[in-house]
Amino acid sequence: MIQVINGLVYGSFLYLLAVGLVLIFGLRRVTNFAHGSLFMVGAYIAYAVAAYLGFWGGLVISVMVLAALGVLLDRFVFRPLAREDAVVTLLVTFGLLFVLEDAVRTIWGKDYLTVPPPPLLSGVIPMFGSTFPVYRLFVVAVALAVAAGLALWLRYSKVGLYVRAASVDPVTTGMQGVDTDRLSALVVAIGTGLAGLSGTIAGPLLALSPSMGAFIIIDCFVVVVTGGLSSFTGAFVAALLIGQVHNLGIVYVPELASMLPLAIMTLVLLLRPRGLAGAGR
Amino acid sequence: MTLLKLDHVDAYYGEAQILHDLSITVGRGERVAILGRNGVGKTTVVNACIGIARVRRGTISFGQKTPASIRHFTAARSGIAVVPQGRHIVPGLSVRENLLLGAAVGRKGPWNFDSVCALFPILRERAETPGTAMSGGQQQMLAIGRALMANPDLLVLDEPSEGLAPVIVDELGETLIKLGAGETSILLIEQNFSLVHAVAERYYVMSKGAVVEEGRLEGLTRESLKKHVAV
Repeated sequence: MIQVINGLVYGSFLYLLAVGLVLIFGLRRVTNFAHGSLFMVGAYIAYAVAAYLGFWGGLVISVMVLAALGVLLDRFVFRPLAREDAVVTLLVTFGLLFVLEDAVRTIWGKDYLTVPPPPLLSGVIPMFGSTFPVYRLFVVAVALAVAAGLALWLRYSKVGLYVRAASVDPVTTGMQGVDTDRLSALVVAIGTGLAGLSGTIAGPLLALSPSMGAFIIIDCFVVVVTGGLSSFTGAFVAALLIGQVHNLGIVYVPELASMLPLAIMTLVLLLRPRGLAGAGR
Repeated sequence: MTLLKLDHVDAYYGEAQILHDLSITVGRGERVAILGRNGVGKTTVVNACIGIARVRRGTISFGQKTPASIRHFTAARSGIAVVPQGRHIVPGLSVRENLLLGAAVGRKGPWNFDSVCALFPILRERAETPGTAMSGGQQQMLAIGRALMANPDLLVLDEPSEGLAPVIVDELGETLIKLGAGETSILLIEQNFSLVHAVAERYYVMSKGAVVEEGRLEGLTRESLKKHVAV
């Protein structure tokens, strides 16, 4: 049972990143390979800021910096790339990943760094006859809160309606007077902000290293593809699924663990070529 | 008074020139039709007006303004609402949401969810169903309703009769006449002669990306049109 909750924790990180990828893909049709490195940059910024302002200060600053970075990315990378071939986009964002990794390596070095959890969340609580760190439950709670918030925002707000419309038909949406460029900037900022959030809360659980982003991005793409490419619900379900598979794999069949998520993705695509939600194209 | 004016426009998709030295005007409150065979560039006229096709020579002015560049969302804000060819109902959105999307431009006027539903009662009945689940005729009403939600000065309809049964086309004609009786100008891109005849006051005939004939509708007969359009 404890392992299932650990799977939920990993699934939470995957969800926070995957949903950002889905948001960005929806509006810009850009597969953002650099998303994992944004997660990593978020973790390092939080680490640096936490030394002065504590964990929560680090969290706020990291999310804000990453959101601002998202606006710049959208304006100067994604918007010009929106008309290019998917391969070009992939290569550019892949290059960006290396640039960000090297920048972090230059500033903070390549050694593993650790971040302590905030005092408020550093205890353990008894659960299922053993104990469990409170901080991990906090991570799951954050992911659930983000999922619920995003779902409500997309379903009930005006801007959420425009985001859903622009994700399926940007030209028609623009013809109705929606400034799709500004909308994209907002959506990309939310996506990268969530990468910052995810990186920050990953700090106390995973050791920080410049390659942590490249490692997690593969599982994220597995989640996005399994979920159905442009579906938020699909990404949520797939993140939970892949989180479990990843974690149970590590515990029971460690030699196959890194292969299992890919096997699941292959299986899903064979049975449902458009992913779990079936909304992809 | 002229509302929309295309003045000697050359328009392109990429390097391909579609419109050649094309001039068209639509007056305030006027109902104008553009006729022509498939592939002569009728839709490109619409796309040039909303910034999807590039204008490299000539000017497009709307109201008193001649914007240096047009984006599709700026066209909507200045008061051009398009009912696109093929209707383009946004998948995944309900009928109500498709209508609310039309109000995104935020222009004030008589049209809102209730008044559009009074014009097309079926839209209220089916408000919560997916827009793409409706029949062709109902989707056309939705597309027109969505355009009206923007409270436009100019309503552009690109082949609205396409794929509709003749009886539905007649109803469409009556609706457009009703709409055109007010302040709203209508630019109707059509191949269906009877719809044009019912709705328009003035017409242009296009061939190979240029206007080859224009006039008032009284002077236009099926026969005189036959040399340009498959009726």
